[in-house]
Amino acid sequence: MSHTQLLQTILEEVKKVVRWEGFDGKRVDEAVKRVLAGIDVVKLHYLENCVGCGACAPSCPYFYVDEKYSPVNKAEEARRIYRKKLTIAGMILGPLVEARLPKNEEDLDRVVEFVYRCTNCGACYTACPFGIDSGALMVLMKSFSTVVGRVPTIMAFLEAVERLEAYKEIPALVNAWKNVVDQINRELGRVVELDRKGSKVLYLPTLIDVISYPKAVVATAKLLDKLGLDWTMPSEPIGIRPPIAVVIGLSDRAKIVLKRVYDYIESIGPEIVVLIDGGFVYPLLRFELPIRLNVKPRFRVMHIVELLVESIEKGRLKLKYVEDKVTWHPPCQMTRRGGLTIEPEYVLKVVSRGFRRLPHHGLESYCCGGGGGIGCITFEFIEAIAKMFGVDAKQLISSDKERRFIEETEKAYKIALKRKIDDIKKSGAEIVVTACPTCMRTIALGAKLYGVNVKVLHIMEYLYDKI
Amino acid sequence: MNVLGSALGDIYSFAIYCYFPVALAVFVFGCVYRILRMVFFWHRPMKAEPRRRGAGAVFIGLIRTFLDPILFSLRYRKWGFVFGLLFLHLLGVIPLIFLLAHHVAFFAYLMPFYSIVWPFAIPLSATSSVLTVTAPIEPYSQMSFTFVNTVWGPLTIILNGDVLTVLALVGTSFKIGTKIYERFVKGLRNARITDILVYAILLEVLITGYLAARHHPPTPVGTDIIVYRMLMGLHVLGASTLLAILPFTKYWHIIFGYWYGKFHEWYDLRVRRGAV
Ligand code: SF4
Ligand code: SF4
Repeated sequence: MSHTQLLQTILEEVKKVVRWEGFDGKRVDEAVKRVLAGIDVVKLHYLENCVGCGACAPSCPYFYVDEKYSPVNKAEEARRIYRKKLTIAGMILGPLVEARLPKNEEDLDRVVEFVYRCTNCGACYTACPFGIDSGALMVLMKSFSTVVGRVPTIMAFLEAVERLEAYKEIPALVNAWKNVVDQINRELGRVVELDRKGSKVLYLPTLIDVISYPKAVVATAKLLDKLGLDWTMPSEPIGIRPPIAVVIGLSDRAKIVLKRVYDYIESIGPEIVVLIDGGFVYPLLRFELPIRLNVKPRFRVMHIVELLVESIEKGRLKLKYVEDKVTWHPPCQMTRRGGLTIEPEYVLKVVSRGFRRLPHHGLESYCCGGGGGIGCITFEFIEAIAKMFGVDAKQLISSDKERRFIEETEKAYKIALKRKIDDIKKSGAEIVVTACPTCMRTIALGAKLYGVNVKVLHIMEYLYDKI
Repeated sequence: MNVLGSALGDIYSFAIYCYFPVALAVFVFGCVYRILRMVFFWHRPMKAEPRRRGAGAVFIGLIRTFLDPILFSLRYRKWGFVFGLLFLHLLGVIPLIFLLAHHVAFFAYLMPFYSIVWPFAIPLSATSSVLTVTAPIEPYSQMSFTFVNTVWGPLTIILNGDVLTVLALVGTSFKIGTKIYERFVKGLRNARITDILVYAILLEVLITGYLAARHHPPTPVGTDIIVYRMLMGLHVLGASTLLAILPFTKYWHIIFGYWYGKFHEWYDLRVRRGAV
């Protein structure tokens, strides 16, 4: 099958899933079941112990778009389902105790609207006096939304492309990967043996890394060589940004991709797996993989900044010292969800005298507003993807209603990111260094929108000429 | 009607001897039910290796887990901080419930070990608390506890039933007001109707407790005790109702939700993921 035919088959599959109009009772029942199946003891706490104080509200980037997007108000969607199905009071008294299942089109539209006003940044988790992670509840609602069909076509498309490994057939993507590997070989002056079994270190860039910051991918290879490590990398990408399915709340499909990644890693048998993506891929592989696959990995997952810190501390790495006015934007996934709160700043302080922290940094850092797939729900992004894959952009928007949803989401996104841009402006930095492709796109967009003159770079891109 | 004895002839006797034990039983049942529910939802997941940052970081993380949300509220939700945390909680119901002398006496009667709290007990009225500072004379009669020269010193001018109840009343009223506004004007569903109702019960407990303690409203000599017992009866009824509904409402946070939530967050974020 040619790649065009393959993509058309995928688009047909996606079309069957996506449904922005109407109310399908069967799908709603199925979606409710998914929500209930996703409840464990911790989520039970999130569902039951919220006192509605609203203390979490100011932490959320989307609260500044509209008060109704406060974490607690959004998470009420999950609580209403939970109360109706799993509490005695809810079963008997229904709406009197705020227990209710979505029962019409309007309800489904509100759910999808709320779901895509949450980046799962975790800021509400640390702001809540009760340790309630509303983002986790919105992930539950995301699965609801996707199952009922309220899912952006672009996201459903990318998920299917990744799951079915169709990206391996797309010429633009195959070439992008090949070019980076060629460049690595050129820079290192040797041919890197790909997929080498028994390597101590497995460097695992993904397609999104290669497309978003090829220079960072090359710089990492240079660093691994410079440190004298016994390393290898995949001959072809293990995913676009595996597993994209988590971004639309489909844990069963995420498991398929994750298992493939795990099996690949196991086939190489490394001690360390190195990632450069500081978005959801990092906490997922580092902390969630064992839970999702019920395995005890024999390898250690490290983000490149951890390796940098370790190497600097042990005196194995010297970096060129500069005077750049540089700051670090902590990607929420790597920081609040991944625990790497201090490592990047350590590295940047070693590199530049001009390093300055953002006024809100570490666990308190502001979310850029682009996570959770929101940064992908823009017309510009959809067109770029369509071009890259060689499909008609119109096929990636299912209906006028979805188009309106994209418009509204984009509008909200552009407001939500302003808080971050103001923070960057206050820092006086000229270079913003970070590690997540979504954050990078969001900050670059925000800087353009709000007239702030900064360069946005991946940390390894920034270190390229300093190694 | 037997107004002075323990017969079930008035609201007070009914509240103390009938309603309270039932409420206590419902409370115990509710607690067991809630805990069992959590156990039922628990399963042992395969966990990733935690990031090891050392005992110091883990300890500081514990303090910050509890402190950070308070500082966050202070910075970003000043009204919520003042009325909710300060008036309602820290200067309101927490010292009132656990330290007010009358409550200490009652709890110590039910649970003798609670007597250890006596040195920290706070007096009922503003007048008597001022006197403990301005005229610290030991009472002539034998009392098991006097408020003269207590650990609180001049702080009893604030730390007394009168002042704290007024603060708690202000905090509770603020909460009810904002909830009604958020729900019915702004249409936000996180302001739940059930929460408004349980705040209303708290308000009833505070008002009746305050009135009873001050022997208000003034009544002709001889009938005073009837009004007093009625108000106390209503106070105990309200408080018992709060106790009974505690495991089934937002008040569950007092004994479980808050502690579980914070310790879980600490373990998840600070111990496992290693955030500092
Ligand atoms: S801060 Fe926590 S308890 Fe308060 S409303 Fe938000 S989630 Fe609920
Ligand atoms: S996870 Fe982030 S975006 Fe989602 S509700 Fe919480 S603060 Fe808002």
